[in-house]
Amino acid sequence: MSRLDTIPHLFLDKVRKYGDRVALREKEYGVWQDISFNEYYRHVRHFCLGLVELDLRRGDHVSIFGENEPEWLYADLAIQSAGAVAVGIYPTNPAKEAKYVIGHSDSRFVVCADQEQLDKILEVKADLPLIEKMIVVDMKGLRRYTDPDIMSFADVEEIGRKVDNGDPDRYERLVERIEPSDVAIMVYTSGTTGPPKGAMISHQNVVSMVKNALQVIPQYETDEIVSYLPLCHVAERMMSVFLPLNSGATVNFAESVETVVQDMREILPTFYLAVPRIWEKMMAGITIKMKDASWLKRTTMAWAMPIGRRMAEARLARRTPPAALKLGYLLARLLLFRHLKKELGLLRARIAISGAAPIAPEVLFFFMSLGVPVVEGWGMTEETGIGCMNRLDDVKLGYVGQPIPNVEVKIAEDGEILLRCDHVFVGYWKDPAATASTVVDGWLHTGDVGELDEHGRLKITDRKKEIIITAGGKNIAPSEIENRLKCSPYVNEAVVIGDRRPYLVALIQIEYENVAKWAQEKGLAYTTFKSLAQLPEVNELILSEVDEANKDFAQVEKVKKFRLLEKELDHDDDELTATLKLRRKTVYKKFGDIIDEMYKSKRG
Amino acid sequence: MGFLEVDTISLAFGGIMAVSRVSLSVERGQIYAVIGPNGAGKTSLLNCISGFYRPQKGRIVFDGHHLVGLRPDQVARLGIARTFQNVELFAHMSVIDNLLLGRHNHFGRGFFHNILFGYRAEEETVHRRKVEEVIDFLEMEKWRKHLVANLPYGVQKRVELGRALAQAPTLLLLDEPMAGMNLEETEDIARFILDIHQELGTTIIMIEHDMDVVMDISQRICVLNFGEKIAEGTPAEVQSNTAVQTAYLGEHYDSVLKQLEQPLQP
Repeated sequence: MSRLDTIPHLFLDKVRKYGDRVALREKEYGVWQDISFNEYYRHVRHFCLGLVELDLRRGDHVSIFGENEPEWLYADLAIQSAGAVAVGIYPTNPAKEAKYVIGHSDSRFVVCADQEQLDKILEVKADLPLIEKMIVVDMKGLRRYTDPDIMSFADVEEIGRKVDNGDPDRYERLVERIEPSDVAIMVYTSGTTGPPKGAMISHQNVVSMVKNALQVIPQYETDEIVSYLPLCHVAERMMSVFLPLNSGATVNFAESVETVVQDMREILPTFYLAVPRIWEKMMAGITIKMKDASWLKRTTMAWAMPIGRRMAEARLARRTPPAALKLGYLLARLLLFRHLKKELGLLRARIAISGAAPIAPEVLFFFMSLGVPVVEGWGMTEETGIGCMNRLDDVKLGYVGQPIPNVEVKIAEDGEILLRCDHVFVGYWKDPAATASTVVDGWLHTGDVGELDEHGRLKITDRKKEIIITAGGKNIAPSEIENRLKCSPYVNEAVVIGDRRPYLVALIQIEYENVAKWAQEKGLAYTTFKSLAQLPEVNELILSEVDEANKDFAQVEKVKKFRLLEKELDHDDDELTATLKLRRKTVYKKFGDIIDEMYKSKRG
Repeated sequence: MGFLEVDTISLAFGGIMAVSRVSLSVERGQIYAVIGPNGAGKTSLLNCISGFYRPQKGRIVFDGHHLVGLRPDQVARLGIARTFQNVELFAHMSVIDNLLLGRHNHFGRGFFHNILFGYRAEEETVHRRKVEEVIDFLEMEKWRKHLVANLPYGVQKRVELGRALAQAPTLLLLDEPMAGMNLEETEDIARFILDIHQELGTTIIMIEHDMDVVMDISQRICVLNFGEKIAEGTPAEVQSNTAVQTAYLGEHYDSVLKQLEQPLQP
């Protein structure tokens, strides 16, 4: 009986089971190329042996720096097979942040995707004395590079191939000595406050997470997945690596970040994960497109959308819809919804998950009306990515659902969500103090505030640290209001402020593309993002959107004033994390003057 | 003997000497820049090489072939591809189709052959693959199926470069590849030119006004003024050449420089 208690063992089991079945698909030269489990395995095996030959030892750390591609997965599993720890770096990270992760994790090797990422590392290599080799997947443009520590991915595989020929059992011996309690991967949490922390996740964590998660979100060998979110994030790692290792589903790699939409339409994934920002963008895209569609299309939309909404309401209430509604919905699906879903690449989506950040219920409801089976889930890096999940047949909007099997959730006295399960992480790398304050008596202190309903479904209010207490003493969750504002196709980012202040104000960043289009139709002149944001008409437009959003909130929760940001918030400028989450402290500091001014001036 | 030898060619339009007794020699694997003020005859020189113009005097020898007198398509068949100062693409065709046109010379059978003996799909598959390699090389995946007319100018120039590359040339003539581009697009194109040079080993002759780029990436520079070659050398040599300074700054450039050195009068 073979072992199934570590990630490489799970992988070997699937290789034996599926062999020549398609495991991965990559678009190369415009054509989707199949990669079978056997080929996948051969790459992992050779790259692993190559690394070991280069003196990678058990417990060492290796960073992976690049966009999603099969080689990312080969490297990931190869590193783990060697008993070492794989550390992902966001491909959008600037050199400074990459340096932090590589340095803090004591990485001896870095696998980089291409020249772009390698250049960033070379920029800071002087400060990273532990680096021994930089292994590059795509060697294009590197002919003149003279650094002797640069190697190609293929070269390492070639070394591994020779080792394999001389000692065919070497790989098996390496894998056999891995213990379930060994750390498999390290995920740096993006850190909206302070520097990122390296969360250590063991083989056992992953194995039990996968077992528990698949009971709620079953995945089959016939499922198609599109891998496009950053792989260093635990949610995408789960989607592209861990779950398919258990189910045998096929993972498709988008050709590039810019072609994801086209690739989605070609693959039509059946199992899909997106973050709220992407759902919001898709919704805004449809709203805007419908505005300048033909009369016929607009009329169809105006007729079909209410039917979709009524159907979604019936489903949410678990009522049997009346026959007339069913018939209308069938027609609406035929005439409109099918086409919209095809356009979004969601036509075949069997389950579509929203996660990694809170989403406005309005957005989820919109997709439910179209007939997209979308469910919200919640998880943290510190518990391997998944804690609660709405069930497809039991969705409650605004809630992230019941805990998945073998996960216990309780609410502490101060409202903080505590969680206990087998897949709570090992600890933070080189930070025992933070580990001790996060996991107390086996309970993971999530830092989120929330409540449970009578059926044990969890509602996330906000991050504990971000709850606003107004001067009037009212507790307000800013993210709820911000997400409502972001439902507008013209709002890209909203920051609600009001801690120890008399009322709430907001900084709003307009959605450049959509507002620009709106301005062009109105014949307004602008040149840049800044000049567009300064137009009084744009201010009026956003004011009406804010007023609309305010209707959904109680008096104290209404946004009384707002200012439009004259620059786009950026990861490079430290205002957003790599996952595009807000760094409030930086934003407050940077725009402090504008905020103060809003509280001084009368109304505007 | 260089890869391309231009031997004292002269080209006149009526009484105007567009190119006058210009000689130059480009080695295999070089990036060679041609610079000069407006109307210096740079594009005319390129047109002479690519067969659009026929110089009245002199010879042009490319890899052992005499070019003067050949038609542009015959020159192209020898492995010389070019781009134009103003984008010359088929605006209402897709990027892929425009690039496939670049493969025209490599098609073994023509239109009538296909009509008479049937269409050969395998051949097209091969060319389609070559086109995809170019798309990958120039990172144009996103625009593959777009109509050229709907693309921004900077991208259109990239497509044109792509069409030239699709010909699989050994000598690439670029007429102001960076004209009208913003800083980021300029950097992208400069990187692509270097990649073409290093990865594909293509010899490149480039006309360009952006001096930063020219000094950065070219190995040898030739300066034209009023149809005559006034200097040639490495970037450093050309920069310190007095004739070049005169051509760019005017006759009394030294007095201009002196004026600049003196403190301004209050």
